[in-house]
Amino acid sequence: ATDNCSKILKYRCSGCIAVGKSLNSRNFSKLLHSCPYQCDRHKVIVEAEDTYKSELRKSLICNKKILLTPRRRRQLSTES
Amino acid sequence: MFQGQRGWFCRSVSSDLRQLWVAEGGTISDPRAAEFLFSCDASHPDTRRIYQSIDYIEDNATVFHAYYLSAVANAEIKNSVALGHFVLPPACLQKEIRRKIGNFIWEQDQHSLIEKPDNS
Ligand SMILES: [Zn+2]
Repeated sequence: ATDNCSKILKYRCSGCIAVGKSLNSRNFSKLLHSCPYQCDRHKVIVEAEDTYKSELRKSLICNKKILLTPRRRRQLSTES
Repeated sequence: MFQGQRGWFCRSVSSDLRQLWVAEGGTISDPRAAEFLFSCDASHPDTRRIYQSIDYIEDNATVFHAYYLSAVANAEIKNSVALGHFVLPPACLQKEIRRKIGNFIWEQDQHSLIEKPDNS
């Protein structure tokens, strides 16, 4: 029974069944993230992309801090 | 099928595939305005720029392999092709993903595209 169940769930992955005009590059990632039944394929892709994105985000924040607020940073470090 | 939709194309996409987009009513636009982002090569500088954009980091920009367009063109029911099968992840992730789930769907499509005999 559980096997059958997971089979049904497998085919309910939003990334796999959503077709047509409404889906595009802007909303696909959000749709996939909100899908509770990601198939193996989409799960692996989403996980890999999420890791990549969070690393990029971190490096962006670092760059911003260094580039935009050097004085503020210096203040903070002397205060503490 | 793509009437009123704007698409951005990496320079790695052949003009044949762009023409399929236009033939289905799509227009070509810059990456910021486009609803669809298409590429054939994740390591191309045009596409790498997308992967480094804020839109991408904030989950607002998924790049799709342009073979989606040929799959649509070849399908009997055009809107039965799942766009979600054509996600093109950054090149540096592809090896790891392939190791876990095998070839991408667009890698399998490549085969049938090349072997199409009545092409030109
Ligand atoms: Zn799926």
